[in-house]
Amino acid sequence: MQANEGRFIVELDHVSKSFPGVKALDDVRFRLRAGEVMALLGENGAGKSTLMKILSGVYQKDGGEMKVFGQRVEGMTPKRAQELGIAIIYQELNMCQHLTVAENMFLGREKKRGIVLSQKEMNRRAEEILKKLRIDIDPTAIVGDMQVSKQQMVEIAKALSTNARILIMDEPTSALTAKEIDELFRIIRQLREEGRGIIYISHRLEELQHIVDRVTILRDGQFVTEMNYKDTTMSEIISYMVGREIKEKFPRVTCPKGKKIFEVRNLNAGRMVRNVSFSAYEGEILGFAGLMGAGRTETTRAIFGVDPRESGQIFIDGKEIAIRRPIDAIKHGLSLVPEDRKRDGLCTKLSIRSNIELPNLDIVTGALTVVKNGLVGRMVETAKKNFSIKMPNADVDAGSLSGGNQQKVVVGKWLARTSRVVIFDEPTRGIDVAAKVEIYHLMNRLKQDGISVIFVSSEMPEVLGIADRIIVMCDGRITGELDIKDATQEKILEMATDFESKFVAHA
Amino acid sequence: MENKKNGGIRGLIGQRGVGQVLTVLVGLVVLCAVFSFINPNFFGVRNVGNLLRQIAPYIIVGIGQGYVLITGNIDLSIGSVLGMSCMMSATLMCFGVNPLFAIAITLASSLVVGILNGELVARCKLPPFIATLGTMTICRGLAQLVNNNRNTDSIEKQLGEAAKVFRVFFYQGFIRIGELKIYNTFVIAIAVWLVFNFILSKTRTGRHVYAVGSNREASHLSGVNVARTIIKAYVISAFCACLVGLIQCATTGTGTMDAGTSYEMYGVAVSVIGGISTLGGTGILAAVLVGSSVWAVLDNGLQLAGSPVALRNIIIGVIVIASVLIDVVRRSGKIRLFRRRAA
Repeated sequence: MQANEGRFIVELDHVSKSFPGVKALDDVRFRLRAGEVMALLGENGAGKSTLMKILSGVYQKDGGEMKVFGQRVEGMTPKRAQELGIAIIYQELNMCQHLTVAENMFLGREKKRGIVLSQKEMNRRAEEILKKLRIDIDPTAIVGDMQVSKQQMVEIAKALSTNARILIMDEPTSALTAKEIDELFRIIRQLREEGRGIIYISHRLEELQHIVDRVTILRDGQFVTEMNYKDTTMSEIISYMVGREIKEKFPRVTCPKGKKIFEVRNLNAGRMVRNVSFSAYEGEILGFAGLMGAGRTETTRAIFGVDPRESGQIFIDGKEIAIRRPIDAIKHGLSLVPEDRKRDGLCTKLSIRSNIELPNLDIVTGALTVVKNGLVGRMVETAKKNFSIKMPNADVDAGSLSGGNQQKVVVGKWLARTSRVVIFDEPTRGIDVAAKVEIYHLMNRLKQDGISVIFVSSEMPEVLGIADRIIVMCDGRITGELDIKDATQEKILEMATDFESKFVAHA
Repeated sequence: MENKKNGGIRGLIGQRGVGQVLTVLVGLVVLCAVFSFINPNFFGVRNVGNLLRQIAPYIIVGIGQGYVLITGNIDLSIGSVLGMSCMMSATLMCFGVNPLFAIAITLASSLVVGILNGELVARCKLPPFIATLGTMTICRGLAQLVNNNRNTDSIEKQLGEAAKVFRVFFYQGFIRIGELKIYNTFVIAIAVWLVFNFILSKTRTGRHVYAVGSNREASHLSGVNVARTIIKAYVISAFCACLVGLIQCATTGTGTMDAGTSYEMYGVAVSVIGGISTLGGTGILAAVLVGSSVWAVLDNGLQLAGSPVALRNIIIGVIVIASVLIDVVRRSGKIRLFRRRAA
């Protein structure tokens, strides 16, 4: 395709965007030509989604310039973006499940004569668009009755019914089968031929070769590079995506690796946890790396008995244990510090004391399940001292503490019992630097105490800085295991994007 | 083609929820058959006329609550707005105010309540249950306040002839078809139903009502004015409550302070029996017609069969629970689980 011939239809220059506590975009540059498919690549958190939300008017940029079809645009809104011909198709579908295909396609832009809706005309026009794209869907079918892949097609048709000249697609192939991806790519090629510009966001790097003309890579909110796809290689792309200089120093401690404490065999829990098997040892920090949606949180939840599982065995100290509900896991010495601490880790409206008490009621209650306040008080003091929790007193709401201190309360409540395995899911997310370091020290202490520490993290520097061994997951499967001395960011990302090929390659 | 095309009846009265309406219709026919077997007077001309007049308030209240339910909310203030409207119009007319003015003022006040409900829910983001519980209590208080905590005298005392016209229009008047008296109340109910059914199934407002109830966020992203749609639903609900309040005033010729008690619940019941889901996004307005019919038929039929009031309430309650249960079970089979975004 003559990708270099088209004029620029999107020009973003020096774009910046900050949110409280984080600079999401820093002086970012982006170009899109008519008649080309541009891949926008970067790790989770690189800023791809933020950049697209600015382009589509959902967010306002803090600084920089935006030009669409050569015209400068200030104060973009979703409605304005639609008028300019920009359409964004999110990964999470935005359809009204109870409405028909045609009704969804024309939502917000209904055609009418006077006050009466011209439903027949909308149905006809919808059918036209669907036919043009050669999508076999009845415009009067109810969206909620259709498979997700078909719903995605409807989203694309909807974008086109607004005569979008610029289409942004976020992970369009994740829910599709090979045949459907074929269909989708055929449609994309057709759109490209019509002179439209398509921005394609995906982590499935293998698929890019079949559809993409050029590539823009972001990293940590900054623009890294832009180039023709055919002028580069996969390993070059990956190294651009992760090639940051790791400046931070992580407090690593070494201690001898002990015996195997924990083993998981053939764990299966739906699509996100497929045949997961691994072992964890005393005195070792095992890191779980991967992209969002890789199935790591789902794995921890399946192990802990939160989500039902189809099969799998769990062994502690070589003996198989049955975990059907969290209480079983707790009784066997497992602890889980969950990803969303406000929702799953703490009862934010209860006091710190109540939170620490909660999973330990069996320890602190006496006859007739009466709580022994003295014991609880000592437990709280111990936690406060061991983890340096800053709190005015133990009766304030847990929700009033800072992120870092909340995390410490979550850890504190679990470590009041003797645990053999502690699982941390994104433990340092949303926490300031000083508190992060304290959490690292905490994990190191647990490791030195002979407790097996498993920690899930999307921040590669952190995983490389603290873990002794790294397991990488992708789309529900374990795709790699690395000892820390062999691990590099590039290797991790390669394994993290090792999606099962849905294709038989063809031109 | 993926799914079968929709035409015929579906095209006429809209697509979603037709199934349940037809099912309930069948049930209704069976009920009528059973009751007329128990008491042949059931299908007597006099009883049918009365029956239709009894259904009317439920239909109207059902329309209002139905709209709000389809947007995914609830309106607990309907009964109190009804009472407030009954007392307000009666009190004004007892003071000699022309019925037309009385109606206008009453209507205006009710619409204000509707807007208030809508603003609280849509813009202040209060949970609908709490917001309308609040307005419910306020309006009930106003109903008591309007005439100094007393029920009113007869409206005909001061106004005489004008009041008589009012009563005839809203309650006593009828159209005679052979031996059958079709009371004005029923005619008004049907007229109101026709208007609001048209709006719901054929206009953009109606489409947005369904969209907001089905997926608020998607609607917002598609450019639908979610807040305005929700406010419209609550205003319609308030209008319906007001109308029944006027009918109530015309029924007894006085204003009663506890008029309308529990009517918001009746509104939920008749909507739900007919297939409007409490979760929003689905159900057609014809649901209200069959739902009210089932309710009134049960009430009337059981009464004629000599059953005590308590038993009627129990049976009706059981049917409401059964209807919602069916809805929930049906939906759980259809829920599509999207991939969760997590590490």
